[in-house]
Amino acid sequence: MAVATGKIKSMGAAKSPLLGFAMFSPAILYIVLVIGLPFVMAVFYAFSDARIGSNELHFVGLENFRSIIQSPSFQKSLQNSIVFTIASQVIVMVCANILAIALEKPFRGRGLVRFLILLPWVAPVSLGTIGWKWILDSIYSVITWVLVWLHLVKPFDTPMWLGEPRLAMTSVVLVHCWRLIPFSTVILLAGRTAIPKEIPEAAAIDGAGFWRTTFQINLPMMKPIIAVALLFGTIFTFTDMTVVYILTAGGPFDSTQTLPSFAFATGITGSDLAAGAAVSVFLVPVLVLIAYLMLRMAHRAEMA
Amino acid sequence: MKDGKKGKGVSRRDFMKIAGIGGVGAGVVGPAFIFPERAAAQQKTLKILQWSHFVPAWDEWFNKTSTVEWGQKNNTTVTVDNINLVDLKTRAASEVSAKKGHDLFMFLSPPAAYENQVIDMTNVYKEVEKKHGKKIDLAHKSTYNPKTKKYFAFSDAYTPDPGNYHKEWWAEAGYPNGPDTWDDLRAGAKKIRDKNGHPCGLGLSQELDSSMAMRALLWSFGGAEQDENGNVVLNSKNTIEALKFMKALYQESETAEVFTWTPPSNNQAMLAGRVSFVANAISISRQSEREKMPIDSKIGISQALKGPVRRIAAEHVMNCYVVWEFAENKDGAQKFLIDYMDHFHDGFVAGQFYNFPCFPKTVPDLKTEISNDPRSNPPDRYKVLGNVLDWATNVGYPGYASAAIDEAFTTFVIPTMFAKVARGDETPENAAAAAHKEYQRIFDRFK
Amino acid sequence: MAVVSTRNLTKVFKEGELGAVNNVNLETREGEFLVFLGPSGSGKTTLLRMIAGLETPTAGEILIGGKVVNDLTPRERRIAMVFQSYALYPHLTVYKNIAFPLKAQNVPKDQHKQKVEWASSLLGIGDLLQRKPRELSGGERQRVALARAIVREPSVFLLDEPLSNLDAKLRLSAREELERFHRRVGTTTIYVTHDQVEAMAMGDRIVVLNKGVVRQLGSPKEVYDDPADTFVATFLGSPPMNLIENADVICGFRPEHFRLAEDMKETAKINFQFRVENMEYLGAEYILSGNIVGGKVDGKKVIARLLLGHSFELGKTYDFAVPERHLKFFDVKTEVKVAPRPLTWQ
Repeated sequence: MAVATGKIKSMGAAKSPLLGFAMFSPAILYIVLVIGLPFVMAVFYAFSDARIGSNELHFVGLENFRSIIQSPSFQKSLQNSIVFTIASQVIVMVCANILAIALEKPFRGRGLVRFLILLPWVAPVSLGTIGWKWILDSIYSVITWVLVWLHLVKPFDTPMWLGEPRLAMTSVVLVHCWRLIPFSTVILLAGRTAIPKEIPEAAAIDGAGFWRTTFQINLPMMKPIIAVALLFGTIFTFTDMTVVYILTAGGPFDSTQTLPSFAFATGITGSDLAAGAAVSVFLVPVLVLIAYLMLRMAHRAEMA
Repeated sequence: MKDGKKGKGVSRRDFMKIAGIGGVGAGVVGPAFIFPERAAAQQKTLKILQWSHFVPAWDEWFNKTSTVEWGQKNNTTVTVDNINLVDLKTRAASEVSAKKGHDLFMFLSPPAAYENQVIDMTNVYKEVEKKHGKKIDLAHKSTYNPKTKKYFAFSDAYTPDPGNYHKEWWAEAGYPNGPDTWDDLRAGAKKIRDKNGHPCGLGLSQELDSSMAMRALLWSFGGAEQDENGNVVLNSKNTIEALKFMKALYQESETAEVFTWTPPSNNQAMLAGRVSFVANAISISRQSEREKMPIDSKIGISQALKGPVRRIAAEHVMNCYVVWEFAENKDGAQKFLIDYMDHFHDGFVAGQFYNFPCFPKTVPDLKTEISNDPRSNPPDRYKVLGNVLDWATNVGYPGYASAAIDEAFTTFVIPTMFAKVARGDETPENAAAAAHKEYQRIFDRFK
Repeated sequence: MAVVSTRNLTKVFKEGELGAVNNVNLETREGEFLVFLGPSGSGKTTLLRMIAGLETPTAGEILIGGKVVNDLTPRERRIAMVFQSYALYPHLTVYKNIAFPLKAQNVPKDQHKQKVEWASSLLGIGDLLQRKPRELSGGERQRVALARAIVREPSVFLLDEPLSNLDAKLRLSAREELERFHRRVGTTTIYVTHDQVEAMAMGDRIVVLNKGVVRQLGSPKEVYDDPADTFVATFLGSPPMNLIENADVICGFRPEHFRLAEDMKETAKINFQFRVENMEYLGAEYILSGNIVGGKVDGKKVIARLLLGHSFELGKTYDFAVPERHLKFFDVKTEVKVAPRPLTWQ
């Protein structure tokens, strides 16, 4: 075994760069085909007049961007995307940190609890969200049923979880959090276990209580890993349309429409590929900047 | 779009070649790509894709009888794929991107955007009209582009969009035959809501049924998205009146549930005995009949509501068959449609009158048939649909169902406009102006 | 200042297994430097962590200043601890590291600066205050850790192998510094180490631990000269004490007491024939190892440590002897020290 490993290492490292490339190529191929190519096409389309059903393309410069910026649905989607991302990331970070603290120390049944908490992430997002759609349905909602049964609301004036703009946005955010919290929890748990155990012990001896240790020692030390979790979460949230699409399809009247769902509605169902592409790449520069800043912060904190 | 700019642009096909097979819809390429020989074997194949019909019996007839018999006669293996109606556009987009897919693809709304990807259906219409007489104007307006003089689709059938009302409550409110005008609807719905809490179920969501109901309201008050020549005319006094009406109706008689709905939601709300009125096709009462629900006897059908200007409603769905330019069996697909019209009446019966004919002569005794429905209780429940052609029209009325109209339709500008006003988030004037601007923006993209 | 004592202190990590610390009874003296010495796994760190409050005892009591502190948090015990890894807070500057205990214990803010400056000047790190721990050398880190420990003037210092992360040269100077520091602040200090030289050099008293049991508690001299059992006898001293079984006792003598018979002034001595098998030259002294030839203990391996001045040849036999007063006696079975007794060797 040791011999074999050594051989591969030397071949890969020194003698045959081809092997290294061969080992790497599936990943590159995957990224190029599944992410790179569609992205390049999206950028390409965003500056063209492409439509589903048109046979040729023309370069139209910034015309698509000029056009979509004027669309009230786009403006609302942009605003919603930002609200959706920030609100869900704040909630996810708070809950994931609490969970990570709770799950750090061993207790009876911790394995089972960890497994249960991971489930929402493991389950296909569409299935989970459809479950929530039933839970929040206007006619068959179990929550509403319980509230009616408890006489907390009147049968014909029940809260419309997906019908009132604020409630709908809250529901979408919370369902998204439900799905994302496990992921962040796992990342943060890994981050917590990476802190040498003497450090919180030293803080305890220095006289710090739970809150001071958490906020002045543990969390600052987890900055790089929190930045990574936040970066992933932000990107997952910003680019996610499943939750919105299944729960509200952007309604009521665009009040939960986000950029990805609006891009889909415009580009695919509305067959205006160019406008859809423009919507979807609109915030790429911003996202790239956010990613860059977060990675730099993570890197800096790691060096410290 | 094709004219004038030609030559300058990169052909999409070329781009796809350069880029390799695009990620979108690559899955569709699968079988035919791997076994090109099989696809070209002596036995021809015809692949059809359409929605899962709201009346499952129609699919049963189409998939297991109609297509099978045609296939035997024409030495063709016919396969039919049924998908959820909300996925039709996505599927179409991926088939077009991959330039592979079904021979016959049925949209539920006029697919003007795909004009360059489909063959001209003029011949199919001609052949059918030879045998079955002229098509209705609704079919013409939904499948014809006057600028290019091309029929981009073939409509065999449409579905009316009548009112569905709860007979008992409406009788109590003083309308034994249900509401006849929009004013009846507002007054009666309010009485019912005030009396027993049951709200009115006119949808205000980003979905098909709401889109149709709101267009009916708009037109009945004299408003419209465009004029006959395709100019945006949405922002008008009539539109504002329609908006004011909807706001009053919502605030007096509806709950926020109407903002959450998907296409089946108003069916469920009606069948659950929750709402007093919805605008929908006859799929609701067909389900209550089929499943022998106690509420069946209480569901009444009313014709389109009369507004201050006219009595009008959109078709509920518009069957639009297209044959892709890249289809493998274009001839078979066209022949199938022509032959299929000979048996349209069988489908009309099998589909429990859901599919109304675009060629009225295929169902000559329509009025008699729908007035004596053995499944229905009472048998003349659907009688009011007899004069449907007087009040059913196409999306884009009074103009054509153009690609711009389709984009505005699928981005739900109209129901969004109504919903904002209904909830009081926007004044009728501002909402009409904003929606008008959005229509203008979309229309500009097609110049 | 306070006295730390333990009563029957026991820690069992896994039920049914041998305890990491068993029935330990100790008491420090006011202001003394007490060393816990033992090999790894002897329970010395566990014992220290129980005193610090980082580990809950399975049984027994811990007293600080006469008060039982078992149920008190580390914070309430008013102790300071320096960890083997120093456990500096990597994201805080040296200043903030040192000020952290003051903040945590709600010392009024206006006193922070003065106290930090006092602690840092005591340890000579006044010019490092704005640096981050990663910018410091090992020795500087240790000093920062110490400064952080003394800044709030604790009643007890606990030091867990604070020198083991330093290289050999630095370790010597750091050791001296620590001794000087202790003399200056005079706080009761408990120091854990596995290094007997450190223990001997620094400790006022040494607690020798093995397998969670205290083998001996005494001054460095007592522990070295008068080991309580064979474990202590062999654990301290380098090379370790020679042990030779004779009749029903084990006899022990230090290598430095095993010398050429001709150099020995003492009259009461025991003579051996010693064949040199190996010789290590260490600059100031030789370490000779070989076998005893003839007599009752023929063939026993022993080690001798001699100053320079003689020359030896490998394989040759020399006349060696041990002064009788330097012979130690241990029971064969219990390996515990017993009273001297006359023995025949020939």
